[in-house]
Amino acid sequence: MRSLFLLARASLMSGARHPRTAVVLGRLLGTAFLICFATGLFSHLLQDPLPGTTFLTRPASLYRITQGLHVATGIACIPLLLGKLYTVFPLLFRWPPARTLAGLLERASIALFVASSLVQLATGLVNTYQWYPWPFPFRQVHYALAWVIVASLAIHIGVKLPIITRWWRRRDSIGPDGLLRSVGDGEGDLGRAEPRATGLTGAVQRWIDRAPAAPQAVSRRTVLGAVATATGAAVVLTAGQSLPALAAVNLFGPRQQRLGPQALPVNKTARAAGVIARATDPGWTLTVRAGARTRALTRADLLALPQRRVTLPIACVEGWSVAADWRGVRVADLAALVGAAGRALTVRSLQHGAYSVTILEPEFAADPLTLVALELNGAPLDLDHGYPARLIAPARPGVLQTKWLASLEAR
Amino acid sequence: MSARMRAARIALVAVGVAGLVVGAALLVTTVRPSGVVGLGVWLVAALVLHDGILAPAAFVGNRVLRGAGARIPPVVLAVLQGAVVVGVVLTLMVLPEIRAKQLGARNPTVLPFDYGLRLGLLWLVLAALTATICVVLLRSQRTRRSVR
Repeated sequence: MRSLFLLARASLMSGARHPRTAVVLGRLLGTAFLICFATGLFSHLLQDPLPGTTFLTRPASLYRITQGLHVATGIACIPLLLGKLYTVFPLLFRWPPARTLAGLLERASIALFVASSLVQLATGLVNTYQWYPWPFPFRQVHYALAWVIVASLAIHIGVKLPIITRWWRRRDSIGPDGLLRSVGDGEGDLGRAEPRATGLTGAVQRWIDRAPAAPQAVSRRTVLGAVATATGAAVVLTAGQSLPALAAVNLFGPRQQRLGPQALPVNKTARAAGVIARATDPGWTLTVRAGARTRALTRADLLALPQRRVTLPIACVEGWSVAADWRGVRVADLAALVGAAGRALTVRSLQHGAYSVTILEPEFAADPLTLVALELNGAPLDLDHGYPARLIAPARPGVLQTKWLASLEAR
Repeated sequence: MSARMRAARIALVAVGVAGLVVGAALLVTTVRPSGVVGLGVWLVAALVLHDGILAPAAFVGNRVLRGAGARIPPVVLAVLQGAVVVGVVLTLMVLPEIRAKQLGARNPTVLPFDYGLRLGLLWLVLAALTATICVVLLRSQRTRRSVR
């Protein structure tokens, strides 16, 4: 076993597998993980606010930016993580696997870190394809794993801090000859000379070594260059689903910005939500209520109220977003009809199930850009976009822009 | 190790352990036991898949390329290796997308493209680009050698 592990380690060593490469990729990946965590936490809080939280309503595209960043950064993490794991792969074959209890715990934490990161990125990506082939609820597990990952990141940085600081700066890492400096005692386990294997494993190793190895500088630049190109390609070829500037090269994004009824993608159709009969019922009214004061407004009543026109994005948790022109009645004007100005509102949809009842916090309810929209991009709302009336507010996730409105009730 | 470094390390590990407790508490309070078990299976499977299949495959692929490319200049081999990495990583990301589309998107605005065709085109463009770069590199090397 020992000689097998030795063989694996020795064969896997290459010029690129050096603590400096691990630090260069690690700090990019660590930063990307933190961006994902911060933007993900923001998205989570918007959907499950802590008591007393007040949210920013400007810039109106705030959520579009944070969630677009969340998904694009998550996509960038995939090549970065694979590159980082490639760099440190020989460490998997340390023998003995651990010498002390602390060493064992450290390896266990690395296993948890790697496994959580792989599962988080894979399920996060496939979630944007709206495919859920796993035996657990996506949202809850994505949130819990996010904590596990940043926690493991903190532990990992804590454990490796002396090595990270040793190889942080370029001038401390690369000699005047342009080559990475050799790894001394306590400066990391990668890149150290390995003892030669003998016997059968030695023969295997000689066969592996027969293939010429690239010069160290070429090997290092190959790894960094390949990871950088793969990361750039993955982001550029998908980010067009939220960035108009990249729409022309949106080769692999699961959405296209202006594709859908009224030039807007749809997440849940009226048919899937089971609301067609109720939404097309000529007797439909929007109920606005505060305590005993109630108004039931038909679509004609709503159209008779002062109409406002706003440009606001729909920004989905899955990362895609697109700006649209909305026309309708200010929620603040409707709330004023029943004396509920400035209060939080319970928003009910005609649909049942998740997100059919949501809370519109006072800062969003009072915002002049928040509308009960009746028209989209110059025409009456499509049934799939929430006809007869839907909510549209600045800086909120798409799942909270309730379609097929039934009632607004002061809390 | 300086006192500051030691304090920073202790703080980072302590914060990390606290974060793990938060993550574990979130998991057991919001996910049913069968889901937690399912997640455990997926975590182990991810390790096996990466460490047992993907990483060894990358090693063997690298060894084959190096063996086959024994007579090509290292820089050209590096370009080839880089192109393979880019193609394989994007393929890994797009394959589930193709599968999800096969299983049926929820509405026509989800997964609207022919991702298989696009992946094929990507490989073609990648191959053409790589070939061009390699030819340019080989020519410039030959020129340099003949000047010498």
